[in-house]
Amino acid sequence: MKKNLSPLAIAFWAMLVVFFAWDWAVSDPVNVRREPPLIAAGSGQAPTGGHCASTF
Amino acid sequence: MTRLPLAAILAAFFLALAWFVSLRQAILFLVGIGMGAVLAGARFGFTTGWRRLIEQRDPSGVMAQLLLLAAAAAVSMPLLAAFPTDLGAALGPPSISLLVGAFVFGAAMQVADGCGSGTLYKAGMGVPLNMAILPVFAVGSFLGSAQLEQWLQLGATRPVSLVATFGPWEAFGLTCAGLLLLGLAARAWVGKGATWFNRRLLIGAILLAALAMLNLLIAGQPWGVVYGFGLWAAKVATAVGAFDPAGNAFWSQAVNLNNLSQSVFLDVTSITNIGILAGALLIAAGKSSAASQRAPLTAQQWLVGIVAGFLLGYSSRLAFGCNIGAMVSGISTGSLHGWIWVPVAFCGSLIGVRIRRRYAF
Repeated sequence: MKKNLSPLAIAFWAMLVVFFAWDWAVSDPVNVRREPPLIAAGSGQAPTGGHCASTF
Repeated sequence: MTRLPLAAILAAFFLALAWFVSLRQAILFLVGIGMGAVLAGARFGFTTGWRRLIEQRDPSGVMAQLLLLAAAAAVSMPLLAAFPTDLGAALGPPSISLLVGAFVFGAAMQVADGCGSGTLYKAGMGVPLNMAILPVFAVGSFLGSAQLEQWLQLGATRPVSLVATFGPWEAFGLTCAGLLLLGLAARAWVGKGATWFNRRLLIGAILLAALAMLNLLIAGQPWGVVYGFGLWAAKVATAVGAFDPAGNAFWSQAVNLNNLSQSVFLDVTSITNIGILAGALLIAAGKSSAASQRAPLTAQQWLVGIVAGFLLGYSSRLAFGCNIGAMVSGISTGSLHGWIWVPVAFCGSLIGVRIRRRYAF
C-alpha cells in the first residue's frame, strides 16, 4: 500500500535532512579512534552526554 | 513510501553511523527506532492518557504509564547502585523553575496534543501540527536552557537521589508506594466500573521500559528528549551569530560546548530522537496518511498550537525534562524532581484540556 507524503511532510523531512547534512559538514570531524564504549555499564567511564534533567 | 525502501534507507543510515560515527551511536539509533515504533504502534501517548483520565475517567493510559515507571525503576535503581560511576540518574533540582515549568508544560502538552516523545512520534507519523511544532519546540528548548540560570536564581535546592539517599531497594520500595498512591488516586477519581487495563498499552509500557533500560545501559544516562531539541537550535543560533555560548552559563559548560562543536550524531539524546522519528515513520509507512484522518486546522488553531509548541520547549527546560526526561527517567532513576513534576504537570493539564476545548482541537 502506498502512502503519499503531504507537502508539509516533504518540507519537514527535507528540513531535517538539510540540517543534519549541514551539521555534519560544519562540525568537528569525528575521531573514530576515540569511540565511546559500546556499553556504558561496566566501562569504568563516566557518562559525558547532556541530559534535560541536568542543570549544567 | 512503502516500508521496504524505507527500511533500506534506515539500514544504510545505521551502517553509516556505525562506520563514520560510532557503533554505540548506531545501536542507540536502533533503540530509538524501537521507541518510535512502540510509541506509534501502540499509540502510547502520555498526553492522551492524562486527557482520557481527566475528561472520560478512563484510567487505562495512566495505568500503563504507572506500569512503565515501575518496570523501569525495578531495573534502573539496582543498575545505578551497581554502576555508580558509569551510569547517571536524571537528577533535576527541586526549584521554582521546576514548578513553573512543569505546570506550563502540562498545560501546553494538552493544547499541542503531544509531550516531547509524543511530538516526535506524531511528527514522524505525519501529523501536521506536530511536524510544525517540532522546530518551535527546539527554539523554545534552546531559549529555556539559555535562561535557566536566571530561573534557578529564583530558588533551587540540590537534586535529591532516592537511590543515593536510601539505597536501591529502599528507593524502589518508595517508588512503588508512590506509584500505588497515584493508582489509588486515579481509582478514587474514576470510580467503579471502569476498564483499568488496555492490553496494547500494557505491552507498549513493558517494551518502552525495556528500551529505556537499554538506553541507560548503553548511553550511561537515562532516556531524554528535549536536550537534543535545544542542542539543534543552539547550533543554528550559534552558527548564524545570534548566540555566544561562551557567555552563557548553561552552554558554556564543557559538556555543552563540546556538544555544540561536534556532530549531533554523537549526541545520545539527538540520536534517539532521530530514531524515534524514523521508527514512527516506519510504522506510518503503508498506512493511510495521518494527515488525511484529521480535519484541517483553522488559522487560529494553528497559531495556538504553535505557541503551545514553543511553550513546550521552553517549559520543559525549566522543568528539567518532559514526560520522558523528568517523569519516566526522573522517577525510574530515583530523582525527587520527577515526583514533584508529575502532580504539578497534571494540574497544568487540567487547565490545558480546558484551553484545548476552548479552541475546539
